[in-house]
Amino acid sequence: MAFAAIKKFFSGSTPIVLLLFLLLASLYFMSEATHNSELFSKIFSTMLVINGLAIFLLIGLIIRNLADLIRQYRQRTTGSRLTARLVILFVILSVTPVSVVYYFSLDFLQRGIDSWFDVRVDNALQDALELSQTSLGVRMRELLQDTKKLSLQFDGVENELAPIKLNDLRNLSGAMEMTLFTMHGRIIASSNPEAANLLPIGLDNTTQLQMRQGKDDVSLIPLQDSGLHIRIAIPVSGPDAVTEQRVLQALFAVPERINSLAENVQEAFGNYREVAFLRTPLKYSFILTLSMVLLLSMLTAIWAAFFYARRLVAPISDLVEGTRAIAAGNYEKRLPLPSKDELGFLVKSFNEMTHRIALATESATESQQQAEQQNAYLEVVLAHLSSGVLTLDSERTLHTSNATASQILGLPLSDFQGMPLDSIATDRPHLQLLVDALYPHLESEQKEWQDEVILFGPGGRQVLMCRGTQLPHTVTLQGGHVVVFDDITSVLQAQRNAAWGEVARRLAHEIKNPLTPIQLSAERLRHRYLKTMTGKDAEVLDRSTHTIVQQVETLKEMVKAFSDYARMPSLNMQGLVLNEIIQEVLDLYRNEGVGFQLVVDLDPTNPLIEADPGRLRQLLHNLIKNAQEAAEQSDPSRVNVITRCMQEETCRFVELRIEDNGPGFPDDVFSTLFEPYITTKPKGSGLGLAIVKKIVEEHGGVVWAENRATGGAVIIIRLPVLGHRKQKDPQTGLAKSS
Amino acid sequence: MASFTPNYKSLRNTRRWNLRYVWLLAFCLYSQFISADITIRSVETTFKDKVYRLNANVEYQFSEAAIDALKNGVPIILLFDIEVEKQRRWWWNKNVASLEQGYLLLYHALTENYLVTNLNSSAQNNYRSLNATLEALGHITALPILDEQLLEPEAKYFIRVRMRLDIESLPAPMRPFAYLSSDWRLESDWYSWPLQR
Repeated sequence: MAFAAIKKFFSGSTPIVLLLFLLLASLYFMSEATHNSELFSKIFSTMLVINGLAIFLLIGLIIRNLADLIRQYRQRTTGSRLTARLVILFVILSVTPVSVVYYFSLDFLQRGIDSWFDVRVDNALQDALELSQTSLGVRMRELLQDTKKLSLQFDGVENELAPIKLNDLRNLSGAMEMTLFTMHGRIIASSNPEAANLLPIGLDNTTQLQMRQGKDDVSLIPLQDSGLHIRIAIPVSGPDAVTEQRVLQALFAVPERINSLAENVQEAFGNYREVAFLRTPLKYSFILTLSMVLLLSMLTAIWAAFFYARRLVAPISDLVEGTRAIAAGNYEKRLPLPSKDELGFLVKSFNEMTHRIALATESATESQQQAEQQNAYLEVVLAHLSSGVLTLDSERTLHTSNATASQILGLPLSDFQGMPLDSIATDRPHLQLLVDALYPHLESEQKEWQDEVILFGPGGRQVLMCRGTQLPHTVTLQGGHVVVFDDITSVLQAQRNAAWGEVARRLAHEIKNPLTPIQLSAERLRHRYLKTMTGKDAEVLDRSTHTIVQQVETLKEMVKAFSDYARMPSLNMQGLVLNEIIQEVLDLYRNEGVGFQLVVDLDPTNPLIEADPGRLRQLLHNLIKNAQEAAEQSDPSRVNVITRCMQEETCRFVELRIEDNGPGFPDDVFSTLFEPYITTKPKGSGLGLAIVKKIVEEHGGVVWAENRATGGAVIIIRLPVLGHRKQKDPQTGLAKSS
Repeated sequence: MASFTPNYKSLRNTRRWNLRYVWLLAFCLYSQFISADITIRSVETTFKDKVYRLNANVEYQFSEAAIDALKNGVPIILLFDIEVEKQRRWWWNKNVASLEQGYLLLYHALTENYLVTNLNSSAQNNYRSLNATLEALGHITALPILDEQLLEPEAKYFIRVRMRLDIESLPAPMRPFAYLSSDWRLESDWYSWPLQR
């Protein structure tokens, strides 16, 4: 949190203002310092260091910013180009005037400082100093002469008497102080008018040297509190010839007026000399200060250029990013509002625009979804239609088709979408008939039409009922057609079966009645006349009557079979276990125990079905007998009976397979195998499989025949498991039976 | 081919010459150092009236620039730093007392005198030549530095002194250059000795 707060603080404009203020303050102090005022003089060096550090800091910041900008420029980051241009512009705008000002300031500075110093002033001051020195020099010489005269009185004076003599002399000469020293500078006696205990001015080394050489010494000394004084030192002979020479030092005050004037001259001269001496360093330090001011303001300007260029460009690059996002399809992008100026207004408008686009896109997507849902709904409806549906445009190009159409025609129509109708016939030549049959209707101006088309394909004979409608002009496929067709082969089959059933019933009825009298009459003829006849006649009669009876018997059986087929007693449905019925029937054949091998493989789950047990037994007998007869032709003959409980989509059913290892069905009989009076056996009535099919259909199941890959035939029956019958899709059964 | 064979003899000569220049440069630098310097020749402490006093002998060698500045009226301050440190066994020495004695040097153009003001006592002395001034400044006598009461009886003490020219007291315009120039870096090394008790 604290870190974020610091970061926020440093990213605002506060630090810039603060920094600028600090810089200005330090620059002010520094420029004040060059004027040599006391306080600022103290902090001058510190300020110099602080400003130097600030310059380094700024250079570091600028280098970092520059490196960032160059990197972004190379990476082609959004807004980097504009930032670079703005920075260059700002820098040029700020650096150019500052540089010009700097150049001229430098020139002014040099000339300005030089103009302070005038040779004439210099000379005048020098002259003033010399004048002072000369005027004082005159006074000094006078005093020296006077003192020298007075000092003669000292010759031979005893050291003990020296203080009294000194006092006298001092009073006489008007000196401020008079002291008698030894040659080595030790005080012998001193006279001072004000305070006797005050330590007299000592004898310095230079004076001592002069004294030893026997020379007088006169000098001007500035005393700490009392101004200029003239000091005169004169060697004086000792009290006698043996003792060492002594030194008399007299101190005279310079008159007040001269003193103050001389001091003024000294002060002015001293100051001027100092300033003149400092001319070059002053110039340099002014240049240094100016350069620092320039550098700092320039660097600050450059840094500010970076800072503000970035801030200025930020909303623009946001806008660019936002535009890109919208171009890429992201309409949820919202930009942060930068300020309340025109840019802020622009960003606000942009946000509004994206919002509106998002809304529009949303509604578009919604309606698209609705359309798609509608489409999907239609497709589902079409897919679940039992009729095949095709739509063709005016150019006879296939536009849409449903799954049933593909199923009926036996080829994936979706592959032919967008292709001419003719193309479906190139792969399946038998469909050419369909194409040929449809064309005249499509060409005609008829609004609606209907036609029946018979195809002969690999699946056998197929009868299609086609209905066509011209599409109205409001629909996209102008001048196109919708063709709806049904495979009515099985319907026709059922009609034929019904017709056959009717025929069989009538035949049974019509034929059965006269058969019994014929048989009885033949038996009576034989019974009565066989005994009376002998020889060849008897033989003829016997054979003839026998033939009649036998043939009648055969006819009767045939009629019975017909009536069995035709008769439709009501079913006695009950829940039962299929496996039990199968075992029951098979037991009969096991007991028979001859001729063929019976392999039974029943589903262990013992599925329960709803069926008429009597009918089921009849079905099983028919099938097993058929299989047995077929298998007889091979050795060892073998019949497999298999049940399996299976699950397919929503339909649960039990599958019964009865397989033999006989020769199998010839290929050409498959389409008519379950029709009455079709048989491959020399002695068959041709009703066995027809009856099987009838029973299976009565139970809501399907039956079909296949040839096994290993040889032999298989009849497959599927019956719904109890409890699943209601869910059974009648379409499935219909489709399978075809 | 000849141009590719290095001429070892000339190379050696060049090296020798380079070395000579280096020596020359080093000598120049050295001479510059010794030409402008302050050296503490001797220091001793005396104990009188329960106060330690210091006598020191300092030798000054001002650079031309410093003398020039002085003669042009620029005041120069010399600082004499005195530090008394208590020796500690496992630790840095502890500073017990530190003293700074300042001397202001000024040229009086009218009288052609050099004025020396003791900044601590404000006593002023006049000298008629720079040599005499520096000679006088070189003899520091009986400078009271330490009261005996400040010292622990058993502890060991070190005193160290240093004399230096105070660049900070120079006029501001001169300072940046003074800091950078060896002419103005007039400073003795620390002179350290154990306090005799």
